[in-house]
Amino acid sequence: MSATLPRSDTPAHPQLPQSPSPALAGALRWLRRDGLGGLIAVTLILFIIGPMLSVVLWAFAVRWQYPSLLPTEYGFRWWSETFRRADIGTAIPQSISITLIATALSALVSLPAAYAFARMRFPGRQIFLLSFLATNAFPRFGLYITIAVIFFQLNLIGTVQGVVVIQVVNSLLLMIWIPTAAFRNVDRGLEEAALDVGASRLRVFTQITLPIVFPAIAAAVLLSAVNIFYEAQASLIIGLPNVRTVPVLMYSLINNQLVVQYGAILMFVTWVPSLILLAFAQRFLRGRHFAAGFGV
Amino acid sequence: MATMATAELKPSPRWRRARNVFSGYALILPALLLVGLIIVYPATRSIIVTLTTQADGSPAAFTLDQYTSFFTDTLSTTNLLYTLRVALEVVAILFLIAFPICLYLRFSKSRIANVIHFLTLFPLFVPGIVLAYALIRFTITHGMLASILAALCINNYTTPYLTTQGIMFGLVWEGIPFTTLILNAALIQIDDALIDSARDVGANAWQIFTRIMLPLIKDAVVIIFALQFLMILGSYTIPYLMGPAEPEMMGVFMQRTYQDVQNPVQAQTQAVVTFVIAALAGYVYVRTVASQQKGQE
Repeated sequence: MSATLPRSDTPAHPQLPQSPSPALAGALRWLRRDGLGGLIAVTLILFIIGPMLSVVLWAFAVRWQYPSLLPTEYGFRWWSETFRRADIGTAIPQSISITLIATALSALVSLPAAYAFARMRFPGRQIFLLSFLATNAFPRFGLYITIAVIFFQLNLIGTVQGVVVIQVVNSLLLMIWIPTAAFRNVDRGLEEAALDVGASRLRVFTQITLPIVFPAIAAAVLLSAVNIFYEAQASLIIGLPNVRTVPVLMYSLINNQLVVQYGAILMFVTWVPSLILLAFAQRFLRGRHFAAGFGV
Repeated sequence: MATMATAELKPSPRWRRARNVFSGYALILPALLLVGLIIVYPATRSIIVTLTTQADGSPAAFTLDQYTSFFTDTLSTTNLLYTLRVALEVVAILFLIAFPICLYLRFSKSRIANVIHFLTLFPLFVPGIVLAYALIRFTITHGMLASILAALCINNYTTPYLTTQGIMFGLVWEGIPFTTLILNAALIQIDDALIDSARDVGANAWQIFTRIMLPLIKDAVVIIFALQFLMILGSYTIPYLMGPAEPEMMGVFMQRTYQDVQNPVQAQTQAVVTFVIAALAGYVYVRTVASQQKGQE
């Protein structure tokens, strides 16, 4: 279909239909100039924003019946009901603490490794880096079955520690690959210049290297935190019955709950903060570094 | 560090290299240990269990019983083929969607391009379970999409929820950011002059795309294919919440075999079979990246 696209540098064709009204002419001209862009944008808005919009609307809807395009009655009636539920009240703080601990531990383990992968020359470097990807090829669930057996012997089943360990390991790939790409992209000349004028190695690292890689590291940390918060399979197998996280609760709300609003409100209050956090990561992801991390 | 006593005495290059190697290993060691203990060791144990457990559950020195029963069981092979089919179809759809969008982004500098760029990244910020819930609410029989279509006087809407289309909708949705990010990065690296000169000698848009651009982004296409295929094979949340009860994708099948059928060894066999196929995709990816880096050096 690209074959029929006009070359962008062709002069405007005179046979554009002369439209009766200036408004229609304007719309036609706009469509002609960027009709493809408009079409793509409208389709993406419908299928990407549409579903998320329906969750947000459901969270504030009291009544919404087909075929009404929007809820017919808004209100907060279901909000107090939702937060009065005991399971939600305990799951949210539990999930937040697991996320904070696991993300911090993951950063502690991964960031030095990312620095080494980007900056140091040692045999097997490339193979070790790829091994983090390779480990993702084994289906997670198959692992959890065996890990459950091992953790049972170690008394880690149903404990926060058990869940945290799994979440740290799950986030390693993201937390190592993105920062590795970022450290690789730092201009070494800049650092050497600072060393030449007498800055200490520590000072060069904290005042030159770190500020440059900070956006990438922040993006990796935020993405990992959000992934950890919403990971359900490990919590399901390692965490239950004592540790019941938000996503585990979400599964049961999706499958067995007739009241749509419970799920919608829980998704809304947990997802919107993560969306705001991730908006900060957006700029980094649009740059070339993210793709470079995957070898493009 | 030991040689710091005399500032004049510069460490020999060899000593410096050795120190570099040593601290390199020291820095990656904690991460490697974690992966070894929590992934490699359990995975190896899984593989061993599937090769030493007979059909009746009793141990043996070596047996292929578990694999024989997997490949002679119609349900298992159906689910495996179904998973492969869904994965291939989703990747194909992703390319069909991503190519027009990324080509548009490559050549357009309009304000709409910025909006489209943001929209293609947006799914990255939506966790799988929130997405599943949103898609259910959006596509369910009397959901928002049905209302929108009804407003446009289209009343014969059938929901993809709990069908294969439901899974594919969700997986395509999830795959868009990664596919477009990698494709965009590859397209940006194509020199404008190359395209202009092809145009000057009279090449049309299709010829420019197939003869000039496609060969240059071949590696990126292979990388997208391999990694997306891998991710879809291991997917769980979307197939579990959006898909039909039968056939099942492997992730869902494993969990049901473990929890409902209570046959952990067969569930692990399913995991190993999936892993072998995923490893093939991983191999394709690694080979592409390795040959590309060799080309750059």
